[in-house]
Amino acid sequence: MQLELLFEAFGKVMFDPINFLFVFIGVTSGIIVGALPGLTATMGVALLIPFTFGLDPVKGLLMLLGLFSGGIYGGSISAILIGIPGTPSAAATVLDGHPLCKKGLAGKAIGMATIASFFGGTVGALIMSFLSPQIAKIALKFGPPEFFALAFFGLGIIITVSGKSILKGLISGVFGLMITTIGFDPLSGCPRLTFNSTELLGGVTFIPALIGLFGYSQVFQGIEKILILPPVKSELKNIIPKFKEIGSVFKTMVKSALMGTFIGAVPGTGCDIAAFVSYGEARRSSKNPEKFGTGILEGVAAPESGNNGATGGAMIPMLTLGVPGDAVTAVLMGALTIHNFQPGPLLFRDHPEVVYPIFAGMILAQFVMLGVGLGGARFFASLINIDRRVMTPIIFLLCVVGSYAMRFSFFDVGVSLIIGIIAYFMNYYGFPGSPILLALILGPMVEQNLRRSLIISHGDPLIFITRPISAAFIFIGIFIIITSYYRIKRAMEKEEKMASVAEKERID
Amino acid sequence: MLKRMGLIFVIVAGLITFTSPDGMAQKFPAKDITLIVPWAAGGGTDTIARALVKNAKNYFGVNVNVVNKTGGMGAVGMGAVATAVPDGYTVGLITFQLSTYRMMGLADLSYRDFGLIQLLNQSPASISVAADSKFKTLKDLMEYAKKNPGVVTAGHSGAGGGWHLALASIAVREGVKFNFVPFDGAAPTRTAVVGGHIAVATTGIDELLQLYRAGQVRILAVNDTKRHWLFPDVPTIAEAGYPNPKIIYDWRGLGAPKGVPADRMQILINGFKKCFDDPEFKKLAHDLGLPLAYRDPKGFEEFLKEMEETLRPALESVGLLKEKK
Repeated sequence: MQLELLFEAFGKVMFDPINFLFVFIGVTSGIIVGALPGLTATMGVALLIPFTFGLDPVKGLLMLLGLFSGGIYGGSISAILIGIPGTPSAAATVLDGHPLCKKGLAGKAIGMATIASFFGGTVGALIMSFLSPQIAKIALKFGPPEFFALAFFGLGIIITVSGKSILKGLISGVFGLMITTIGFDPLSGCPRLTFNSTELLGGVTFIPALIGLFGYSQVFQGIEKILILPPVKSELKNIIPKFKEIGSVFKTMVKSALMGTFIGAVPGTGCDIAAFVSYGEARRSSKNPEKFGTGILEGVAAPESGNNGATGGAMIPMLTLGVPGDAVTAVLMGALTIHNFQPGPLLFRDHPEVVYPIFAGMILAQFVMLGVGLGGARFFASLINIDRRVMTPIIFLLCVVGSYAMRFSFFDVGVSLIIGIIAYFMNYYGFPGSPILLALILGPMVEQNLRRSLIISHGDPLIFITRPISAAFIFIGIFIIITSYYRIKRAMEKEEKMASVAEKERID
Repeated sequence: MLKRMGLIFVIVAGLITFTSPDGMAQKFPAKDITLIVPWAAGGGTDTIARALVKNAKNYFGVNVNVVNKTGGMGAVGMGAVATAVPDGYTVGLITFQLSTYRMMGLADLSYRDFGLIQLLNQSPASISVAADSKFKTLKDLMEYAKKNPGVVTAGHSGAGGGWHLALASIAVREGVKFNFVPFDGAAPTRTAVVGGHIAVATTGIDELLQLYRAGQVRILAVNDTKRHWLFPDVPTIAEAGYPNPKIIYDWRGLGAPKGVPADRMQILINGFKKCFDDPEFKKLAHDLGLPLAYRDPKGFEEFLKEMEETLRPALESVGLLKEKK
């Protein structure tokens, strides 16, 4: 690691106002794109690539990196304010962010999300800058059995994001897994459950499903209560969380940032999984798991630190191995290729002039994000004071546009609506949406790698426990499933008992 | 009064019908052209499409804008091109999968549904192993695999894809049985071979450029009739001892919906030829190792016809031929 090269690049990026401007434009547009449901960081980067053609490649990349970081952070804003994740990676933020907003603490929740994102993003960017080659070596050790084990571990999180009933959470999860079996199966080369529809050949597209699960179902609930719910007055003071509040979640932020970076660095797993794993772990290891989901700052800090940690992490395999860490880095890889810097093991040796500015730009983007986020938090929080009768139709419109814009498809608008209706009724009967989403993200990974591993081992399931990394994830996964099951069950019972005591006292 | 209105209507209608095609044809293209890419932004096909039309304004006078319409193994985007309004303003990138949809029973779509514009590239497959593999030559590999049927794991980027079929057809001819391990795309396949999770990988040769230069893979052969300029020491499949008369290439080309007026079609054909000859595009393709292969509409059609004939037995050999006879 040539430290002087990094510092030199840092100086160049930091003190050139034009470079700074590009990072700023990237971050700001990223936050907007991220905050609008249906427009994701992936799409934003893809849309901006043509604009970088005429630019100096480094400046173009700085803008794209800013957009990546800003986009992942921006998703938390709509997650908190309207309960709709702006990007898939903000889905876990909904769980506690939106209840905070309902308590009138939207401003503080956004402040917390900003600080956690900054913290996670900076940790991720620093790890990327200093440990890329070492982490890439670990990533290479991941073969099909390891991917299966990691996805299995990830599915274990379903228990912690199930809300009140673990059974209903599991049913939701299985429903999600079933949806992922629709479409062309790349392993056998056959279509499954497509009913001869070309549109369904690619399966149920992820973003429209996300919009259905969280967007439409929220809108329908909003319509249902549009006239009875009292307006939430959002408190606009004390946006920046107090030092003590940050201190109390500091340990969670550190843990989430590190886990996020690592998960991001595994090819094929991105910010969304990182956020869920971070949230799940924070809840599992918490002394008060029953408080999660009711609107606590720790439940915002964990996923936001985790998903922004994953931004730096996801860059690692893309830069060092030429394998994108997630969907956004896949697009970034295309951008690098088109500027004739082919990512891969030789990029560091052949093009230090682009690698080091990437590191510096990624770090700088975090600071810009912190500034823009905290500066804008009051404004974002005041948006919630807009009349529900105005807001709900606007969100509805955004959902329609968002599901269409992913690939300019009316079919997707329909898919999204149907899933929205199903999700509304599931929600009504207490089936949570997050396990469905988690299953949609992890389903293909768990299924394909299970089958792939068994092809390699000629059907012998021992392959999963004779390889150390795979065995470790399987056992940690089982451990987490068992401990979170008992802890959450006990916490729920405790809460029930307290509720019945309170009830009794009220009657007495 | 009514009569006069009717007369005016007839005249106006006549004017519109008779004058407008001519008037518009002179100006074609009068607005930006849309190029539909059936694969995701940032992927190999998308990169090539964007590079191709980067300087399109110089040749068409208007921009050619890339729109990614993904899904259904490319069938959604290619289907959208085939069914677009044939006014010449919508064209599409068509890719290898178009040669297999009908035979694999995935979609009722083939090159016959398009007005072909040009062939862009035909990329050969490669057979590679990790740098520290015990297989030094293709002969080592094939002989070992012959003695140990079903033992050697061979990763490819998807069942029924060009690379899978390329290796499968060689294996069938040589009486060798590989344990095929399908991955989802080229990137995970090549990582798996470098990481030692599979013994052999079959991918496009250009997809291995970085790993090859970094000395992390050994490419045993390129499935082509001539060596690749960026891989001068990689033998062709014949040089490696396994002559292959019917070579499966991964191809990309351009197509328009059927029924675009002939004069507009000619403008598209000429314009995209100029994009193809653009020095910047040529240089990028050269540096990326992408073997460009221009063919005019007629040559393209012949190429696609031959390709289907080559693919049919290959698909049959891996049990994926579902063509309705």
